Amino acid sequence: MSRRGSVLRLPSARIAVGVLAVVVILTAFGSALAPQNPLAINANALFQGPSAHHLLGTDYLGRDVLSRLMAGTRLSVLTALEAVGIGLVLGAIPGIATVFMGRWFDFAVNRISDALMTFPYIFFVVAVTAALGNGLVQAMIPVGILLAPAFFRVTRAATLEHARAQYVEAADLLGASKLHVIRVHVLRKVLPNIVVTTAAMTAAALLTVSFLTFLGIGVQPPTPTWGGILSSDLDYLSQAPWAPFIPGALIAVTVGALNALADAVRDRSGAGTLVLADPIIPTDLSLERSVA
Amino acid sequence: MTVISLTRGGTADAAGAPAPRRRRGLRVRVALARIGAGLAVLVPIVFLSSFITYCLGALSNSNPAATILGQDAATPAAVARLDKALGLDHPLVVQYWNWLVQAVHGNLGRSYFTQIPVSQSISQRLPVDLSIAILAVILAVVIGGTAGTVAAIRRGGWFDRGVTAVCSVVSTLPAFVVGIILVVLFAVSVHAFPANGYVGPSAGAGPWLSHILLPSLALSLQVASDIARQLRTSLVQVLDQNYITGARVRGLPYRRILVRHALRNAAGPALVTLGYDFPQMLAGAVAAEAVFSLPGIGQLLLESAETRDIPVVQGLLLVISTFVIVVNLVINTTLNWLYRSGDEVGT
Repeated sequence: MSRRGSVLRLPSARIAVGVLAVVVILTAFGSALAPQNPLAINANALFQGPSAHHLLGTDYLGRDVLSRLMAGTRLSVLTALEAVGIGLVLGAIPGIATVFMGRWFDFAVNRISDALMTFPYIFFVVAVTAALGNGLVQAMIPVGILLAPAFFRVTRAATLEHARAQYVEAADLLGASKLHVIRVHVLRKVLPNIVVTTAAMTAAALLTVSFLTFLGIGVQPPTPTWGGILSSDLDYLSQAPWAPFIPGALIAVTVGALNALADAVRDRSGAGTLVLADPIIPTDLSLERSVA
Repeated sequence: MTVISLTRGGTADAAGAPAPRRRRGLRVRVALARIGAGLAVLVPIVFLSSFITYCLGALSNSNPAATILGQDAATPAAVARLDKALGLDHPLVVQYWNWLVQAVHGNLGRSYFTQIPVSQSISQRLPVDLSIAILAVILAVVIGGTAGTVAAIRRGGWFDRGVTAVCSVVSTLPAFVVGIILVVLFAVSVHAFPANGYVGPSAGAGPWLSHILLPSLALSLQVASDIARQLRTSLVQVLDQNYITGARVRGLPYRRILVRHALRNAAGPALVTLGYDFPQMLAGAVAAEAVFSLPGIGQLLLESAETRDIPVVQGLLLVISTFVIVVNLVINTTLNWLYRSGDEVGT
């Protein structure tokens, strides 16, 4: 399965990295690079199509769509990364730990992970913002918590696979500590799986962010975000039916690039994304094995 | 490496028991062990997810009694009296238990603001989302199942490549974007379907279906592409197995081999995918409601979140997670049935 060579040899991976590089540049310098003020209202230029002055046209307040999309990138992408970071820490660390810390700890963490998987992102996030206050940065904490089970399951499955290997047994017999085994033998092998999951989950988080901002959660109206631009386009479909396709395409291309990158890394490393053999509610406990 | 058995009379016990003389006895024991193991997983999940749901409300620093009474009437004495009436003076775990017991009896409390019972406002709106979600599951299984099966049979052909390409495009499109595209294509440009609103099935099957078809289609596409991809992958593997070749050598009709032997054994991963997608499908239903302005539970959730109407939010989350659990139990049961009869077909 594992083929030698850099991930970047695959053409799909190169395109994906190119798209993501553009997104990163927009995240860092989007508002500075925007050709016009993303908040400037122009009553004389409503719903204009693409032109030399407005490359992607104008919206219902005559604001430049291209500038709004560029300026909206930072908030959309950074909040998605925030959620992924939380999910990674909360998921991957217990995913490795449960394998080495005994069956009861393993059982408990698994059930918490299963319980979290019963919540759809949006319901959970909206419920949390109802309880703890509205704000995109706060809203991404529950998204991160819900992303954690995916990281947990992938990391745990990969760790189990490697922790049963003979060289781990040998290291154990030679008196290596659990931490040494994790650091030297497990972490490096599990890393490709974590990378694949991170790419896939970033795509999922980006979709969730876009959807939240589309629903108007966590942002105040003039602030441009990808989902927010889509939402205001929806109100004026009869005047400008083509308008939602621009932010929609931007979201789709970014998500597609992340998925393509995940696929490329998986092809090159033989790592898996989700452990699809296990349903959300596990049926067979004998599959749950512990090394400790 | 040890195999965990966490249940009373768990699977490991049953397997390790001395071989009983009567097969029937063993079967019953295995079945009981299976139920026991299932409960050992299910019960903690139900309690944990409902506890998380309850805690969300309890952790909010909003003061329910003060909210209900309004700013002027909220004297400390009145707040204390109402706290007692609402049972908010008990410890968190006791409050949770009371809430759960009431919820099991169908009482989810009343809205802080409208005083309408939460169960009533949820049951009023749930049919909208249920019709969309059920139709979406049907569409996803039919579209995805057909596409995946045909792609696997005609492996490497133009249809297979087409399905793969379409799936990778569709998987990048969130339900609300697909919904908007469908509105633009079929409702604004062609006027073939209504762009928004909801009509219950009591108004006739035709109008009802025409109102939910576009939202359901928007929801189903991503799930359909997941199912198609998963089914194609596993069906390709199964079709390479020796028992398929064996069945063909025995001269069984291809259709029968495909349905009884191949699909039955290949359907498992696609079903599991459906189980994973179902929670996100409900989230997608919220998107569909927003795009098609339908009066569903998503709107209720957004409204009550804005006013911080905690009982409504808790009730909704409980109902939704219960749904996810039930659907996944159905899927698990189907998986068990598939695999068990799969053994018999395969040998």
